[in-house]
Amino acid sequence: MTHATWPGSRRHSLVLSLVLVLAAAWVGCRHQDRDRLEIALNWKPEPEFGGIFEALHDRIFEANGLDIELSGGPGAPVIQMVVAGRTAFGIASADEVVIARARGSDVVALFATYQTSPQGLMAHAERGFDSLAALLAAPGILAVEPGLPYVKFLGSRYDLSHREVVPYSYSIAAFLTDPELAQQVFVTAEPIAARRAGAHPQVFLVAESGYNPYTAVLIARGDRVRDDRGRVTALQAALREGWRRYLDDPSAANAWIAEQNPEMDRESLTLAAAAQVPLIKTDATRRDGLGSMTPERWSTLAEQLKAIGVIGEVEEPTRYFIQPGS
Amino acid sequence: MSAGWAVRWLPPVGSLVVLTGLAEVAIRVGRVSPLLLPPPSAVLAVAVSESPALLSASSGTAIAVLVGLGLSAVVGVTIAVGLSTSRFIERAFYPYAIFFQVVPIVAIAPLLVIWFGYGIRAVIASAFIVSIFPVIANTLAGLLSVDPALRDLFRIYRAGPVDTLFRLRLPAALPDVLTGLRVASGLAVIGAIVGEFVGGGGLGVVILGAMREQRTDLVFAAVGYASLLGLALFGLASLASHLSLRRWHASEKELG
Repeated sequence: MTHATWPGSRRHSLVLSLVLVLAAAWVGCRHQDRDRLEIALNWKPEPEFGGIFEALHDRIFEANGLDIELSGGPGAPVIQMVVAGRTAFGIASADEVVIARARGSDVVALFATYQTSPQGLMAHAERGFDSLAALLAAPGILAVEPGLPYVKFLGSRYDLSHREVVPYSYSIAAFLTDPELAQQVFVTAEPIAARRAGAHPQVFLVAESGYNPYTAVLIARGDRVRDDRGRVTALQAALREGWRRYLDDPSAANAWIAEQNPEMDRESLTLAAAAQVPLIKTDATRRDGLGSMTPERWSTLAEQLKAIGVIGEVEEPTRYFIQPGS
Repeated sequence: MSAGWAVRWLPPVGSLVVLTGLAEVAIRVGRVSPLLLPPPSAVLAVAVSESPALLSASSGTAIAVLVGLGLSAVVGVTIAVGLSTSRFIERAFYPYAIFFQVVPIVAIAPLLVIWFGYGIRAVIASAFIVSIFPVIANTLAGLLSVDPALRDLFRIYRAGPVDTLFRLRLPAALPDVLTGLRVASGLAVIGAIVGEFVGGGGLGVVILGAMREQRTDLVFAAVGYASLLGLALFGLASLASHLSLRRWHASEKELG
């Protein structure tokens, strides 16, 4: 078994976040190149950001007149960094955008990588669950990050009373030793690691329940991008081209990602890149293009978050995003 | 009574009011986003409106802290007595007691869940690990600095080692034991909350959940409850110190 933090988990470690806020403050104080723009990632280099790495690798950003640099990492408080203006762009999920806006911060989405959320729940296949509802109704531990909106949503919809809900321990060690344990996963990460460790994981997408936020979404501060639409359009076009090439053939970008993230070996990268394709390329993107979003999806998400009491007010859905190619 | 009361409470309350007032003004004038740093008034409002949940979380944390601290007191004093029996044993084992002081609890916390299972046992273990060292270190210092004249007196009267321990060395070390516990009380709160990050329950989970839901005001309110818990424990240790030492020890006599 490899000993590592698993690439898909989305821990907002208090300590790490505080350190990164301070680091971000320090970085913000430095003299910055006026035209260089940062994209703050919320995890280590991995296929989730494949199109961004492809665009850097193939100099697509430069061809679109942009000078892009990556920052951030695991535990980076991306929303806070964007709101504070420490980074021009960042990666977050759609529910984080809706919540941030409800808390009074002008954050907008520019490009939605995952059309179907890669968040899922993983159990042992030996348990023979035939649905998300069956998994949730069974006894045993359910390891999830405290405060995850989708857990609240599942709790409002399914019977969780037989599950002992504990914090996700950011490692699949507990999963491997406890046959009844179920846990949160990023489908491109933990299940691949669990399978390679000899387990037989079975994964149900949270999206099955109807809660399906766009994930790995490029975000920016609304007041900064609304007056700078030319640059936003160029960035969206560059990302779209980067993703088109990455989906076509991820090998070059994966080799580059592997250099920057030694925890992921080439085989895991290849498997993850293949597993995510159906989540990125959907009927909607074939119609409107990669990364596109619809007001209906944003509106549904905001209503769901309101219904479970995470936010108070739902906004006009077009306030949440700027459509690529518009 | 009233004059003494004012002298005692006016400085800390006054500094609190002035400092939070300044923070409130600075945050409002600077138009800092509440997502980044909420004004004290917003934190206070949440601390009041969410008080049922915060109180129940605090009581969960408090139980783990008290058990962890109790274990630290018993195990820590026992270890210190053991170390004080001979120079050889002290030299052989004391360096390893320092392990407890430097252990990066955040790093080993996930392992506590594997060792002790989810729930309060992992939380107690975390509180215990970070709070035992000051008890060992202070108790040992107290046991080793007994007045030589009194030690000679016990030897002249041929007191046995057990008598010497319970009638001379432990009572003489009591002020140091209590100082160790006062230092340990704050650390135990930190240890318990870090333990809750991985083991579940209490203020730790409230803080993680509030961060995830971007409720920065609730994060600060929960931290405020944790501070009050630490303050209460410190007060409890100080009270124990006052009650047990007031008749004879210089540190408490002068205060009384």
